[in-house]
Amino acid sequence: MRTNTGAIAMAVVALFLGVAAAAQFRSQDVYSRSLQLETPSSLTTLIANLSDRNNELRNEIFDLRRDIESATNSVSSGQGTLSEAERQVLRLRVFSAQSAVAGPGIGIRIDGGFDERALSDLVNELRNAGAEAIAVNDVRVGPRSYFTGTPDRAIAVDGHALRGPWIVHAIGASDVVYVAMTRTGGIIGQFEVIYRNTHFAVTKEPALDIPALAAASR
Amino acid sequence: MTAAAPPLRPRRVGRSLVLLLPAVLFGLLVTLQWRTQTERSELSVRYNPPLIDAANALQNEQNRLKTELAGLRARLDEIQRNASTQTGAERELQARIDDLLGSAGLTPRAGDGVVIQLDDARNVSVSSRDIDKSICHATDLTDIINTAWKGGADAIAVNDERIVSSSSVYCVGSTIMVNGTLMSPPFNVAAIGPQNGLLGAFDDPAQLQDIKQRRDVQGLGFRVTRASAIHVPAFSGALNVRFAEPH
Repeated sequence: MRTNTGAIAMAVVALFLGVAAAAQFRSQDVYSRSLQLETPSSLTTLIANLSDRNNELRNEIFDLRRDIESATNSVSSGQGTLSEAERQVLRLRVFSAQSAVAGPGIGIRIDGGFDERALSDLVNELRNAGAEAIAVNDVRVGPRSYFTGTPDRAIAVDGHALRGPWIVHAIGASDVVYVAMTRTGGIIGQFEVIYRNTHFAVTKEPALDIPALAAASR
Repeated sequence: MTAAAPPLRPRRVGRSLVLLLPAVLFGLLVTLQWRTQTERSELSVRYNPPLIDAANALQNEQNRLKTELAGLRARLDEIQRNASTQTGAERELQARIDDLLGSAGLTPRAGDGVVIQLDDARNVSVSSRDIDKSICHATDLTDIINTAWKGGADAIAVNDERIVSSSSVYCVGSTIMVNGTLMSPPFNVAAIGPQNGLLGAFDDPAQLQDIKQRRDVQGLGFRVTRASAIHVPAFSGALNVRFAEPH
């Protein structure tokens, strides 16, 4: 009787040790992520994303070559580089949110409970979809903007408390941004599951006006 | 474990030991089998190799394009700066460009600040239910970046990718992209700015509650340290301004 108990105890301990050893071995490599572990569908999405980025880079390289050529010609003909510089200023002011902008895009109306982390995630998703300018309730979101909650359930952008319903405007390729937000499993779909009593309405907008970043937030 | 086993006579110990090896092997097999099954269901062995090759090739191409773009930006800057006929108006414009390049994140920065390290939990065995909590997610990085801006950061980079107005942290499967560049943990978030303000924001118990809890329970790697002379590179991506018209 005693022998059996001892043997069984030993076997249980050994079984446990075996599982633990294998689990330990497993824990050391399962987290080291690599593309090897992705599904073909994730890899395809990654490839599409990389390919889009590379096209944007190629377009900008093409534009810059043209700017360099025309700047070189202007300098050699004694005209100076004023027009290239002016174009660059306009572009940089848009990019750094220092000028008011107009253009097509999308609007997202959020009516109900929502919070600052979700708003930050939404802005991240809009940027990823290529949004060039974003505002929440007509407050421009800048390169260093941050989101905080307030005790009375408003959301502050750079310290400006904004009360719901929140209206997020984003200028960009409206079809692309719209699909990125509303696709199955996309961020709006996720929000609808998490914030059950909140209404989300996404619309394509042919003409939006977005103000410049407040001087204090630059 | 050994304390629980009473002293046994040699013959009985021997009999128990006979069981030891098969039991250990059985345990190993059960676990390995379970592991293989979960991985096989996630992987399609057939399509992955060409897709991985394509992703790597595109990332390498992106690195080349970024280098080329940086070279061209420097070249244009040099032409404008050296324009021998620089008038007062041109000098003024150049000063505005320099200012804008700085605030847009197109110039490298160096200074004191904090470095935040974020990493998947290592060397801990957690149940598959908890794996999700023990690894870094895109939302962890966006939360950290948000906290750093709140703490007064002036310039931020994640694994040397500068955070600018168009930056996003994107997650596909378990791979993270920042500015469209493939990344894997550990993540080093370098934030230049007032150290006390930054540390205060990260130490605030109301901030990053989820990350701090996962650090304490699941062993997620998360550490904020004061650092001096941090280098944050310039943004090397494209400035997409195609739809937004200034007015």
